[in-house]
Amino acid sequence: MSDRVFGSSSAATGMDGAIAKAVRQSLCHLPGVDDAGASYLVNVLSDISILSLIALSSYVLLLSGRVSFGQQAYFGLGAYGSAVGTVLFGWSLPLALVFGIACGAFCAYFLALITRPLSGLYFAVASLAFAEMLRLALSSWHWQVDRGGGPVGPAGLEGFRSIRWLYENNVAPEVFLLICLALLGAVLIGQMLLERRRIGMSIRMIGYDEVLAAAQGLPVDRLRLFAATLSGGLAAIAGGLYAHRTTYVEASLFDPMLGVHALGYALLGGLGTALGPLLGVALDLGLLDASRLVDGWRMVIFGGLIAIILRVRPRGLLDESLVNSTQRRARHIVGRLRCLISPHRDLDAQSSRDAIVPGSIRKS
Amino acid sequence: MFEWIQTSIDGIVDGAIYALIGLGLSLSYSSLRRLNLAYGAIAMLAAYCGAWVAFQGEISMVLIALIVIGVAGLIGLYVEQLCFAKPLQVSGRIDNASVTADAGIDQRDLVALASSFAIWMQLEQLAINMLPRHMNAFPAFDADATVLLPLMGEQLILRLDRLTVAVLSIMLITVIHRLIKGSRVGLAWRAIAEHRMASHLMGISVDRFQTVIFILLSSLSGFTAFLILAIEGQVTAMFGMWMLLKGLTAAMLGGLGSVLGVMTGGLMLGLTEAWAQVFFGAIGREFAVYALLFLTLTLRSGLAARRKEQHFDRRVVPR
Amino acid sequence: MLDIRDLATAYGNIEALKGVSLTAEAGKVTCLLGPNGAGKSTLMLSLSGILKPHRGSIRFQGEELLGKSASYIVSRGLALVPENRLVFPGLTVRENLLAGAYKRRDSAAITADIERFFERFPRLRERDHQLAGTLSGGEQQMLAVARALMSRPKMLLMDEPSVGLAPMIVAEIFQIIEQLHLEGTSILLVEQNVHMAMRVAQKFYLMERGSISFSGKATDLRDDHLIQRAYLGQRHAA
Repeated sequence: MSDRVFGSSSAATGMDGAIAKAVRQSLCHLPGVDDAGASYLVNVLSDISILSLIALSSYVLLLSGRVSFGQQAYFGLGAYGSAVGTVLFGWSLPLALVFGIACGAFCAYFLALITRPLSGLYFAVASLAFAEMLRLALSSWHWQVDRGGGPVGPAGLEGFRSIRWLYENNVAPEVFLLICLALLGAVLIGQMLLERRRIGMSIRMIGYDEVLAAAQGLPVDRLRLFAATLSGGLAAIAGGLYAHRTTYVEASLFDPMLGVHALGYALLGGLGTALGPLLGVALDLGLLDASRLVDGWRMVIFGGLIAIILRVRPRGLLDESLVNSTQRRARHIVGRLRCLISPHRDLDAQSSRDAIVPGSIRKS
Repeated sequence: MFEWIQTSIDGIVDGAIYALIGLGLSLSYSSLRRLNLAYGAIAMLAAYCGAWVAFQGEISMVLIALIVIGVAGLIGLYVEQLCFAKPLQVSGRIDNASVTADAGIDQRDLVALASSFAIWMQLEQLAINMLPRHMNAFPAFDADATVLLPLMGEQLILRLDRLTVAVLSIMLITVIHRLIKGSRVGLAWRAIAEHRMASHLMGISVDRFQTVIFILLSSLSGFTAFLILAIEGQVTAMFGMWMLLKGLTAAMLGGLGSVLGVMTGGLMLGLTEAWAQVFFGAIGREFAVYALLFLTLTLRSGLAARRKEQHFDRRVVPR
Repeated sequence: MLDIRDLATAYGNIEALKGVSLTAEAGKVTCLLGPNGAGKSTLMLSLSGILKPHRGSIRFQGEELLGKSASYIVSRGLALVPENRLVFPGLTVRENLLAGAYKRRDSAAITADIERFFERFPRLRERDHQLAGTLSGGEQQMLAVARALMSRPKMLLMDEPSVGLAPMIVAEIFQIIEQLHLEGTSILLVEQNVHMAMRVAQKFYLMERGSISFSGKATDLRDDHLIQRAYLGQRHAA
């Protein structure tokens, strides 16, 4: 799927900066990786980070209990929006990305607003219809402006070419990778923090049982809108990064298959933690792409994998129960370590609950 | 004026065919309470099998049709067991809690939805592996035979194969409708759609029933696909998605689960497409269809969905 | 006729039935009393094959029914009138009855049975082709009972037939139960309405928190203390 989405891996380089060199050299330290291998890795890792962002966008929405087949729309809006920013308005990449995010987030908010009363199934289909309408609209959009060397801008079916901000500013692929990873890292940290706070837990509760959550007094609609807006923004970041990486986007790239894949990554990887979607992406791109054997059978395996895993683990591989038991075990280990360090300290109730330390008094 | 009639007739003819596509999807929804997203892919893989067999030599169209129908049924069995049948009991402990859960849409339904689209991807890839070219020949009806009707000084042109399939669709839909309303099996099917647990108490073997119905509906979708592709004379890699979208739209426009609804929905879809094409061209036509679907979902079905799927209005709950 | 030994059913990790044993004799009305949450409905659903017990035995007319499918159990002559009626709301009254007769193939006799049903419940004759969802609570209860009877069961299981109904209708329902008893139908009845149940039952069992705590003849239940326990459970009875 990565070669469908991203075209052939780009080899264009600007000036190798010191950072770029550092990245390449550190990658070459990995076993079996030479210079060509390093380039390949840079590309694959960039792919993974971009896809992870759109997978995370599906994930956030799934947390709130909504299945969406339309995330590709916000990806497209982010792509077009940020491209318009850098190419037609002459903005810097960060500003353009923010603009793209705003486009995606606003659209997702709008859709969630009007589909509030819909049940899960009808919402899923509505999101698909909405995304297709957006795709068709983008494929008819013409806004060409003369910028020095000829007309640039969205040209309807022919797409949007010459999104060259990265090249014009000598950003090497390695540096771009760092940008992607930084953004992904920030999003992950932000999401994990969010899930620890009340608002994140409330969103998860809604996803589990909407009726029960409402009976507890949670503002279901408002939380759903929040999750939707967030998901739109996330997909839009991915779109913006993608557009500048490949320098060319057209509306046909944002077809339902992209959204379906994003959904698949989130569902397969697991809904227990924000790392889940990353696992899904890594499984698809990393394993299946790397092993050329399964080239023509990738979807057969991937699709079958999802169906089978969902049968036995409806919340994905890294589901809530796994995350919880891992956290408990981690706390247990930390508790033991603490006791090893200061064995005569009185155990507080927290660690005495999970740690079994010989010779200590258990508080009941 | 004449163009309007010609366009409308074309729309109605297409609409009847869309209704048949939607029928399989709609009916499987009402018995399973879950949407089968692999619907188009099942038909596509079966059609590809038919095309592949046709490639091998001079095979009669009837045989190809039977192959497509049979293969579709088999694939349907696979999909049903993997995605929609009772969940596997992994730990050996009996899952009693899910049996008495109420009838609204819940987590497991969305999971079944999700796994059916995973299978959609899988089946589509299998088809493409079989015939890698984007466009493949499919045994075709005679495309030149037309029916000419004089009207208002001009002649209405109707392709005979299209017209025949449309009429056949309407007949098939009517027969199925009668069966559902009138027969013992139809009664059992409607009872299952109304209330699964109570149906168990009537002595209906609900699980076996659903499996059989799913296989039959898959075979029906194979038959539908055969007819459509025989008109077109070719099958492309986009066919699975196309069939799902047309069926989904037709079914949802008229209301999921209703035979008359899918008939209405199909006709609305056909007419909208025909007129939108005239006014807005190819892209506009696609857009109009999605817009129609979207509006129907958010305006009409939004209300119907709220009534049926939720057991009480959450706004009534005090905050 | 119906002999249950040490029946245990669980929902996941929660054991709802912890080893229930009771006997329901042919031709008699046996009543199962107990407070809410005692597991009475769970027992009914386990008997009819909807829930699967993991331990115990259900012998009906000498045949072991544990683990059999609901469909098989109906064909052996055990029919349930479920809690909350559960009529098919989108089907007509007649279609509901036909659904109840699903396992039968003798269409002439089925039609005759439907006629008899309308004679027994004349009020519903005019609702023959009306959707069952539009009926009142009492009418739905009558329909549910008749629907279960359509399979010509050897024993009728009834789960709280009086719940949610007005007192006058409740009296009617119990009149019907009494009538069925006089006609020779064997009934296992779960009820919360102890006074009405005592009038029709010959034998009773008291169920509390997943197991049987008392059993005896209906006349034994006149002891006030036992009635309190039947309604409130052991902890709360004075």
